[in-house]
Amino acid sequence: MSATDAGTVAPQRPTKPRPSPMRYVAVGVVALLTWLAASDLTGIGLVSRLQRTFADGIPDRTAEIFDQILSPDWSILGATVDPFLETLAMAVLGTLLGCSLALLVAFGASAITAGGRKRLAGTRSIMSVIRSVPDVMWALVFVSAVGTGTISGLLALVLFNIGVVAKLLSETIDAVDTGPLEAADAAGAGIIARARTAVFPQVLPNYLAFSLYAFEINVRASAVLGLVGAGGIGQLLLFFRNRFDYDRVSLVVVEIFVFVFLTELLSITLRRRLTE
Amino acid sequence: MIEFANASVTYPGGVKALRDVDLKIDDGEMVVIVGLSGAGKSTLIRAVNGLVKVTGGDVRVDGESVPNASDAELRALRSKIGMIFQGFNLVKRTSVLNNVLMGRLYETATWRTLLGRYPAADVELAMRALERVEIVEKAYVRASNLSGGQQQRVAIARALAQEPTIFLADEPVASLDPPTSHVVMRDLQRINHELGMTVIVNLHFLDLARMYGERLIGLRDGEVVFDGSGEEADESVFESIYGRSLTADDVLGEPAPDEDAAEVAP
Repeated sequence: MSATDAGTVAPQRPTKPRPSPMRYVAVGVVALLTWLAASDLTGIGLVSRLQRTFADGIPDRTAEIFDQILSPDWSILGATVDPFLETLAMAVLGTLLGCSLALLVAFGASAITAGGRKRLAGTRSIMSVIRSVPDVMWALVFVSAVGTGTISGLLALVLFNIGVVAKLLSETIDAVDTGPLEAADAAGAGIIARARTAVFPQVLPNYLAFSLYAFEINVRASAVLGLVGAGGIGQLLLFFRNRFDYDRVSLVVVEIFVFVFLTELLSITLRRRLTE
Repeated sequence: MIEFANASVTYPGGVKALRDVDLKIDDGEMVVIVGLSGAGKSTLIRAVNGLVKVTGGDVRVDGESVPNASDAELRALRSKIGMIFQGFNLVKRTSVLNNVLMGRLYETATWRTLLGRYPAADVELAMRALERVEIVEKAYVRASNLSGGQQQRVAIARALAQEPTIFLADEPVASLDPPTSHVVMRDLQRINHELGMTVIVNLHFLDLARMYGERLIGLRDGEVVFDGSGEEADESVFESIYGRSLTADDVLGEPAPDEDAAEVAP
């Protein structure tokens, strides 16, 4: 007697439901939006631009720039060392200061450790403001306020790190095991003591991982910040670009690439060990 | 002395966990609270140290009203009430000693806590608490590396480090195996006998409750339905507390190991 034998009435198998016609509508909408964005209705005018390129060929100037970019000028390597160190220092200090402050902010931005709704709402709204301003905007603000140079870049990185790390860390705190908190409360601990003893050890590995991640971003960001006058290698990049020295621009870009790649490698290795 | 006067707890959402409870627990008593899960045992025990606030009536500890205490008063009150939990509630990523020192948080200056530099006297107190539960050799081991029974004993040491006068235990053996359960219950018994602390324990195993409870309080649907000595509580009493006939799941089923047996053997 096989399993399919009659006698036991098996419930009827359901038929596969029809796919919703909405999917065709969705594909259509996306296609239409893409076409509209590429058409001459917008400033990009991608379609007519491509048509012109096909008709006239690639302009000489473009080809020339590409040639220059593909042959970096290694002779100025020595001159880039100091600005590079400046950028690195900016990234290191920005990470240390930003992440230290972010630790405090994060405790105020989690419902578990804030101690009161007002403080929670206050910290969270300040964090939103900090995060909604992009790092380059912060740099522009500080360049106008305290002048061009690495201090402006540093301040921008600090604020940027507070935004990122405090956000990530406060969410980690939200998800912490609350058992130890109950124990701390039962022992009559104050709000700072319970945060330090019951929460901090639980989130420490995450905090260090976030800080390494912040450093990774900072190395990249500090190069960009130089473009708006916040010192370091980015400022050198801007200088070469303004003089149309694309072979030198290319060298700096290669350097930044190697540098960012190495920091990421280091950071990923360390972070993997932390979260294991 | 702990007094419940017409105490009720209604949780947001309308669940009534305690209904008009009147109780008096004298200093130095060993009280076991029994009842099914959801009967209000945890709520009752948490009302004592204000982890749950009564929504009606009053709870007084040594004459002081718990629901009406200010934050500072409540912290002072809690520092004199040790508590252990079903899930141990240790910080697993830090050492056993650091966990026990959490019992000193009320007394320790905030800057010392922040730096993790506890006074030598507090460390000594913590070590002695660990010695009392016979686990001092694990002082510098990470809490996550301990077994469940060991973790619960560390939790007991943490509560002892508070030098409390009242000791609360919320289902302390529910996550432990039978032999370890007896070890932990014996520890609680010794705390009551030797240190003279008032001990209140929530249990749902009736044989453990009868064995260790000098006074037994039965809860059903948030109401006290039995209050008497452990000997008085026979099966019919438990059936009325549980509201059904007893099953094998209601007993731990393992007799307490004879402590003297090892010493008698040659």
